[in-house]
Amino acid sequence: MPWLGEFFSRRRRYTDISISIQEHLEEKIDELVDAGMSRGEATRAARREFGNVAALQERSREVWQWPTMESIWADTRFALRQLRKSPGFTATAVLTLALGIGVNATMFSLVSAFLMPRLPGRDPQGVVAVSSVNPNQSYQPDVYAVSALNYLAWRADTRVFADMAADAGRTGSLAGQGQPEAIRYATVSPNYFGIFGVSPMVGRTFVEGDDTPGRNHVMILSYGLWKSHYSGDPAVVGRTLRLNREDYTVVGVMREDFRLLGYTPQLWVPLTLSAADTSPLSRKDRYLFLFARLAPGVTLQQVRAEMNTLAHQSQHDFPDTEKRWGASVRTLPDYLVYEFDIRNSLYVIMAMVAFVLLIACVNVAGLLLTRGAGRQKELAIRVSLGASRSRVVRQLLTEGVVIALAGGAVGLFLAVLGIRILRAALTFNVAISSVPVSLDRRVLIYALCISLASALLSSLAPALKASHTQIDTDLKSESRTSSGGRAHSRLRAVLVGGEIAIALFLLMASSLIAYGIYRLDHQSLGFRQDHLLTASIVLDHARYSSASQQLQFVRDLIPSLEQIPGVENAAVTSDLPASGGNKVSIRVQGEPSSPNDELRNVLNVETTPTYFRVVGVPLQRGRTFTDADDDKASRVVVVNEEFVQRYFQGHDVLGKQIQLDGQNATPIWSEVVGVVSNVKYSSEAARVDPEVYQPLFQKPVASFSIMLRTSVDPNSLIPELRHAVSELDPDLPLLRAMSMDGVIEVQHNGDPVFSRMLGIFAILALVLASIGIYGLIAFSVLQRTHEIGIRLALGAKRSDISWMILREGLRIAVIGSSIGMVIAIPLPRLFNSMFTGFHFDAFNIFPTVLTATLLVAAFATWVPARRAARVDATAALRNE
Amino acid sequence: MAKSLEHRDLFPGALELMILHSLRLKPMHGYALVKHIRQVSDDLLQVEEGSLYPAVQRMLKEGLLESEAGVSAKGRPTRIYRLTKAGRRRLEQEVSSFERMFAGITRVLSIVKV
Repeated sequence: MPWLGEFFSRRRRYTDISISIQEHLEEKIDELVDAGMSRGEATRAARREFGNVAALQERSREVWQWPTMESIWADTRFALRQLRKSPGFTATAVLTLALGIGVNATMFSLVSAFLMPRLPGRDPQGVVAVSSVNPNQSYQPDVYAVSALNYLAWRADTRVFADMAADAGRTGSLAGQGQPEAIRYATVSPNYFGIFGVSPMVGRTFVEGDDTPGRNHVMILSYGLWKSHYSGDPAVVGRTLRLNREDYTVVGVMREDFRLLGYTPQLWVPLTLSAADTSPLSRKDRYLFLFARLAPGVTLQQVRAEMNTLAHQSQHDFPDTEKRWGASVRTLPDYLVYEFDIRNSLYVIMAMVAFVLLIACVNVAGLLLTRGAGRQKELAIRVSLGASRSRVVRQLLTEGVVIALAGGAVGLFLAVLGIRILRAALTFNVAISSVPVSLDRRVLIYALCISLASALLSSLAPALKASHTQIDTDLKSESRTSSGGRAHSRLRAVLVGGEIAIALFLLMASSLIAYGIYRLDHQSLGFRQDHLLTASIVLDHARYSSASQQLQFVRDLIPSLEQIPGVENAAVTSDLPASGGNKVSIRVQGEPSSPNDELRNVLNVETTPTYFRVVGVPLQRGRTFTDADDDKASRVVVVNEEFVQRYFQGHDVLGKQIQLDGQNATPIWSEVVGVVSNVKYSSEAARVDPEVYQPLFQKPVASFSIMLRTSVDPNSLIPELRHAVSELDPDLPLLRAMSMDGVIEVQHNGDPVFSRMLGIFAILALVLASIGIYGLIAFSVLQRTHEIGIRLALGAKRSDISWMILREGLRIAVIGSSIGMVIAIPLPRLFNSMFTGFHFDAFNIFPTVLTATLLVAAFATWVPARRAARVDATAALRNE
Repeated sequence: MAKSLEHRDLFPGALELMILHSLRLKPMHGYALVKHIRQVSDDLLQVEEGSLYPAVQRMLKEGLLESEAGVSAKGRPTRIYRLTKAGRRRLEQEVSSFERMFAGITRVLSIVKV
């Protein structure tokens, strides 16, 4: 890079030049003196022959300079001087752009954090995630978990995989000093950390053999847990901690930066696959997440093809469990970003703030146009003195760049604040809040880029416009009222019309989304969600290994819960209502087994008899469960109305025998004894799925939720609930104790934040657009003061003047809004395809938004229109 | 750049050629260069002394010359210019192209005479 060296040696060059020239003159003078001249004469003669010393020195220096750079610098200094001369204009323009750039940089910090995640370890690009593809309707079916048997089979395929690790998320209880605590942890194969190439902070990671029974009671702490619970003491390595009532030795502490986007277990233990995990029946237990390194030279395409073959093979070999199931492979970043499922929301937000910036640019362009109109004489003089058109445009663009860079700097400051607010708002779940959002290098670069882009956007048109100066007319025209205003106003009117169109479009978009979210979040879920307290319990295998032990615990639990003052009834259920759940296929007795059976999916929930009363799901026909429906009695089920509609076309189902999950070795038939009302599948979906309830006492589960119908604020009973559970088993942690309203709020997690953000940006857009229309009309009133004065002098009524001005603004607003309406028409369809589960429709949104936009535009016009009406005719005319 | 062109004496490149040629004999400082050119050309070529410096800087930048700290005849610090390899090559090219040009001009002039 020779130019760089030149730049740094420039000062030395300049000295060289002065020294040489100095010596040249001295020598010449000496010589002339030697020839008999006086020193004074000699100096004059030497200088005469040498020429203009300063000019020659300057020209010698120029050789080492970059003329373009130097003149850009001169332009910049000139621009700064010009801007300093009109502080009001400068402040408005800079702040407008700062606002636009600020919100963009703030939102881009989310893009940087969530869509370009920092990946752990060495060479994270070489890691792929391997998943099942679930053929049934489910959330993100193409990154579904994998069964242990498939994991073992796929790992063995060394043609494509160099190494493969498995990971299963769990919840459990960690006992240190005092009360056991519920924690999220992961069981991972010993090579897990090796796949990512991460080294521990203290101690070691897992090694081969750590997963063998007897040696597998070792654990690695996460950095967060280590800091919060063991105050970052390295001596914790080697200590014994109790996890799920069993002793584990701490062998290491993981580094802080090991994070798979939002997935952050608090500790890791080795994954040991038992005989049950590898029995043929376990094929449908899909709970492992796989990460692999590809064999040398294998491409993503090859591994995908190979996985397809393997999936086809197992479909063929195990039709009962693998039918239609596939496999997918994604690169690690692709997988993490997809799995986090925030991409579409961020796209919408980024599109939104980009439009806000566009409106800000248009506003600044409007300001610059006004300014250009005022500066026409100055520009005409410059052109007449020989400035070329491109030179004038460059000068004006430089002004734009200076404004935009200043806006960018202020915008970055706003972004620092914005990111702080954002961090405070993004705490609704662990996955979101564990990802660090910051003003990183990418955000800085992005801010610089959009600053320069907005410089071009905002100042190119005004600069080109202003450079079209007709020297003669502009210099001659004496009056400030008549010149050039019309053409400038026309361009500004187009710009402002565009702003209104965009603002209306954004309002439409955000209202659609906000209303869609609102409707879904406030839909009736089919049960009474108020005054319900919930909590989850996972019975560990150490103490509750058998079904009867699990049942006994539930039998003891319910009465003790019902004794808590303020609790009306207590129930236990395998899944909370409207929270998704386990899908199984069904068969109906008397109907032949058909290949379509597996398409007949039902949501399967196990509950205690009191469940329906506690949750408030009305019984439609037959009966619900009783205490007599236990493991000794004959099997019964309760179904929902959707089940009756979909699988029995509304016919009577009471007394029918159905079989759940046909893969059981010996078919178990259950009698339908009751029909209850529908409960929504999830609080985030409008759909209702066929549902089958089973008595928990006939099918015990180790992991379940408690539900309490309370007569007081449910959250106030959490301490009593904890106490009641610890009375039964002091070592059992209570998970996620919160009201049902709280559960649903967590499920909705980011929705309110998302719609609030969109709302804020849309309103920002509308405010900016209104400022734009206000500025345009105010300027036009100013320009037409003379005309208004004449009109008034000729007898025009003041209301006519107001109306004349108002009409000008309203025309632009109506045209702009109409364009905005037209481009907003495809929005509902677009959003419906982007956000599944939601339903967006425009009928009540469009008129409301249109009215709101026109009202705001009318108000922005009305203010200057009123001022126009108050123009003093004599003063206006004397102004000449 | 456009500015400096009009200050070149005779025709573009002549000053450069003379500087290259003079420095081929021995490294010199600025004043010595001017004196040398004047003496050799028997005062036929009047070089505005100062215009030497922009030309020298240009040639330094192009790598035809290199400069080093030195002392003048009077014992004062100055910069001595020396021809580089690239400069030597350029001189050869320039000389041959000038010769061709002169030959061409001479031929054209002689035709006019006839």
